[in-house]
Amino acid sequence: MTALRYALRAAGLALFVAVVVYVPFRISDFRSSEFALIGIYFIAILGLNILTGYTGAISLGHGAFMAIGAYTTAILVADHGMRDLWTIAIAGLVAAAAGTAFGLPALRLSGPYLALATFGIAVATPIVIKKFDGFTGGSGGINLFEAEGITGLPEFVVTLPGGHQLSFNDWLYYLTWTIALVLFVVAWGIHHSRLGRSLRAIRDNELAAAASGVWLASHKTLAFTLSAFYAGVAGALLAISAFSVQPGAFPVERSIALVVGLAVGGLGSLAPLVAGAAFLVFLPQWAQDISKAPGVPSVIYGVVLILLMMVLPMGVGGLLRRIGSPLTSRLYRRS
Amino acid sequence: MADVLQQVVSGIASGGVYALLALALVLIYRSTGVVNFAQGEMAMFSTFICWELLDRGVPYWVAFFLTLAISFVGGVLIERLVIHVVSRAQALTVVTVTIGLLILLNGAAAWIWKGEQRTLENPFPSRTFDVGGVVIAAQDIGIIAVSLAVVAVLWVFFQKTRVGLAARAAALNPESSRLHGVRVSWMLALGWGLAAVLGAVAGILVAPTQGSFDQNFMLPILIFAFAAAVLGGLDSPIGAVVGGVAVGIALNLIGTYIDFFSDLRLPAALLLILLILLLRPNGLFGRQIARRV
Amino acid sequence: MRVLGVVFLSLAVAVGTASARPSADPGVSSNEIVIGGTVPLSGIAASYASVGRGAEAYFKYVNGRGGVNGRKITYKYVDDQYNPSQTVQATRELVQQERVFAVFNSLGTEHNLAVRSFLNAAKVPQLFVGSGATTFGRDYRRYPNTIGFLPSYVGEGKVYARHILKTRPTAKIAVLYQNDDYGKDLLSGFKAGLGAKRRNIVSEQSYDPLSTDVASQVARLKASGAKVLMVIATPPFVIRGLVAANRLGWRPQIYVNQVGGATNIMRIVAATAGARIIQSAVTLISVKDPTSPRFRKDKGMALYRTIMKRYLPRGDANDGFHTYSMAVAYTFEQALRKAGRNPTRASLLRAVANLDIKSNPFLLPGVRIKTSATDHFPLDQGQLQRWSNNQWHPLGKVVSAKP
Repeated sequence: MTALRYALRAAGLALFVAVVVYVPFRISDFRSSEFALIGIYFIAILGLNILTGYTGAISLGHGAFMAIGAYTTAILVADHGMRDLWTIAIAGLVAAAAGTAFGLPALRLSGPYLALATFGIAVATPIVIKKFDGFTGGSGGINLFEAEGITGLPEFVVTLPGGHQLSFNDWLYYLTWTIALVLFVVAWGIHHSRLGRSLRAIRDNELAAAASGVWLASHKTLAFTLSAFYAGVAGALLAISAFSVQPGAFPVERSIALVVGLAVGGLGSLAPLVAGAAFLVFLPQWAQDISKAPGVPSVIYGVVLILLMMVLPMGVGGLLRRIGSPLTSRLYRRS
Repeated sequence: MADVLQQVVSGIASGGVYALLALALVLIYRSTGVVNFAQGEMAMFSTFICWELLDRGVPYWVAFFLTLAISFVGGVLIERLVIHVVSRAQALTVVTVTIGLLILLNGAAAWIWKGEQRTLENPFPSRTFDVGGVVIAAQDIGIIAVSLAVVAVLWVFFQKTRVGLAARAAALNPESSRLHGVRVSWMLALGWGLAAVLGAVAGILVAPTQGSFDQNFMLPILIFAFAAAVLGGLDSPIGAVVGGVAVGIALNLIGTYIDFFSDLRLPAALLLILLILLLRPNGLFGRQIARRV
Repeated sequence: MRVLGVVFLSLAVAVGTASARPSADPGVSSNEIVIGGTVPLSGIAASYASVGRGAEAYFKYVNGRGGVNGRKITYKYVDDQYNPSQTVQATRELVQQERVFAVFNSLGTEHNLAVRSFLNAAKVPQLFVGSGATTFGRDYRRYPNTIGFLPSYVGEGKVYARHILKTRPTAKIAVLYQNDDYGKDLLSGFKAGLGAKRRNIVSEQSYDPLSTDVASQVARLKASGAKVLMVIATPPFVIRGLVAANRLGWRPQIYVNQVGGATNIMRIVAATAGARIIQSAVTLISVKDPTSPRFRKDKGMALYRTIMKRYLPRGDANDGFHTYSMAVAYTFEQALRKAGRNPTRASLLRAVANLDIKSNPFLLPGVRIKTSATDHFPLDQGQLQRWSNNQWHPLGKVVSAKP
């Protein structure tokens, strides 16, 4: 790779960071919490992209890994008095462990079978959470608002070291986007590592990859593990943002939304996945602003989604790649 | 013993419906390689069309077959206008489009029919038979008979007619079919049309067993139809039928006779299917696809 | 940076009324009062949307007559898809962006629990919660800004238990209930009401709201040999449960909870399963039944139909959720009138805890809304009803449904 390309990448990243830092200055306090939600979806979609983008396997069950992350954080904060910040990484690791445990056997399955098996996991998740109510608080879930460990609650103000004060929503925004940027750079690193090349080789041609010495099972499982880690972190942040967890917060629709976000952002892209996350947060609201009549918002949402996929089958990322392909190298040659 | 049999009988009855919808999923998967998330909502929409016709005074069987015809056209149109456009895109894009269709159809039904609970006429006698303490409803026998008849008709269509042969060829090997003069893309649309008809049959039959229906009544059924189709093998019509009935029975027996699972019926059934899949990754009747470089 | 202002506002909220702040609370202007709430408008619980739409129609009617003390009531109800984490986000928007005066009529147990601490910390009234979970009325000392509305599920369960003890003290009882907080709450009240006779319950079966049918559960309940069936379920599952019982040829005495026992639901059962299965079924009602011929000449229901026709023409006037939501909206209007010419959140909360409405036009005659500093259950009365001739008929006097 030429030095020019590196410079372009670095400039792009710097611009991304600058925009992220600047946004809260331009929007209301509440909107910060909304943009934090975009960051949370962005992390989860980045994770899904590691699985689907590299192995070609569609997971319709990533909401389940978000739930595992969210409940890890909630239980550690509420029952073990831990600080929310430290639980986020743990939540990611617990979800990653679950991802490995599920990924090991599940990757025997081919595309559509895996998709539907993970769909089953997503459907079962809220019911299983409800069953173990001694641990999870049953259908009412766990309230974190009054827990000691959540930074900035119940006052809704966060005092940073040095005395500077932030509203809880701004804090949430910066927390989420800091983590999102780190995980974004990690995802980028994976892409350009040996691992990333092996994974792409598997996606493009499993047998050829195996013939050239890539150990399929371990690589695929690793993709599942990494992917679940991202989902777990997103879940932990969601629990903090909503200062509570409930089984009802993780219906199968949540898993489906992540797949939609990935498709809109563009499979195999990285930064454009933000567009997919923003789509998930804003489109339902816009649809409702147009009309609240029964069913109409869903009609608008469905029509927009279908048209978008027909016009941009590779999502926003595909569009940007087409526009920018002479300038930057394509992330994937085959996509 | 009568208790167990009663659970099995009611499991077979619900399984028959899962089987019909699973069959529709299999048809689309075989013809276009798509897992159709909108299948349940297509069936729901057909059910509402039938209700509307009946509400306007159309006689039952006229409304029934008219609905099937409308559904067929609807299925073909969805393939031609939407699915066909994205058919060359990656699997994720196509799946997302069917999710969009799901949301769109659900909203459209809520908008047109106002989201109220509706009742649909039961075409079968409402009597029940008592066989040694096990109660069997004529309605359930009717549903199973119709399901079997539909499978038979489909089998004859695909095995014995020229169009059916062409459709199978188009799905298996589009390139060489095209060279043999098969209009491949219309054959794929045919698959969607037939799947829509199957869904319509499923919806019209199941709505009366639930007492009432609204725009959401097919969502849970779709979950079990997915389970059935995966269990039987996504490309196997026989598998869909066996899978549907097996899922129906398993749900009832697991929940009833293992106390720990009484409120975990659904997860337990899904777990069981997952375990079976690990032994047979292409389902019970699915074909192992040889991997080639 | 706007952060400073936010910090100031948040501090003001945290420190409470002591710090300097504008004379009126957020959401109140010279000619408008803005309130808000969450309701599922889409997704599997979308049929509850009537609870938002009916209240909105009532407020439009009030506004058409000049509003309250010259202010019109703007009710912003937003969709939470019945997902508690969305409830949090939507409620946060109502409070922090829309700056509503109070949160009103939000629906769902888990959903209201998810925002209760937040609303109390922000000192925003959380009024007339759309849930019968006992905690919303009971825990007012800890959450002084929160008050429920629906008769508590525990109290409702006790009413059925008392009726069974009186009429069928020895009958074996089977229970079908929804597997969540609402179902378990009602079941616990039912058992508490039975007292020592809870041994009469020979079988309990739960269903998950994601199930397609409950035939399997009903078959087990039947096998227990019970003669009484208590149905604690939402409308679709009341219908499926009773249709399944009928197909098995099982004819127990039915008790059905208020949430699932509306007349239009029972008529669907009668149409599909025949009238015999629900002959002399019993339920508890507090709100006037919009389909009942009893209220054909009733002034309150005439008003209801007028409002439906004028402000919600596409809505189904036979949907009891609309009647319910107007009863809640009427109660809010009365509380607001009591809160003074220039209402504040504090004065509204005082008014809410000091209600005595003897004739809410949308509630059954004799059902009184009464609250006090120590009684945060506004609606804790109802009247048992018996089903015959395709209609509910009153059974005895208005009774207490205190938890």
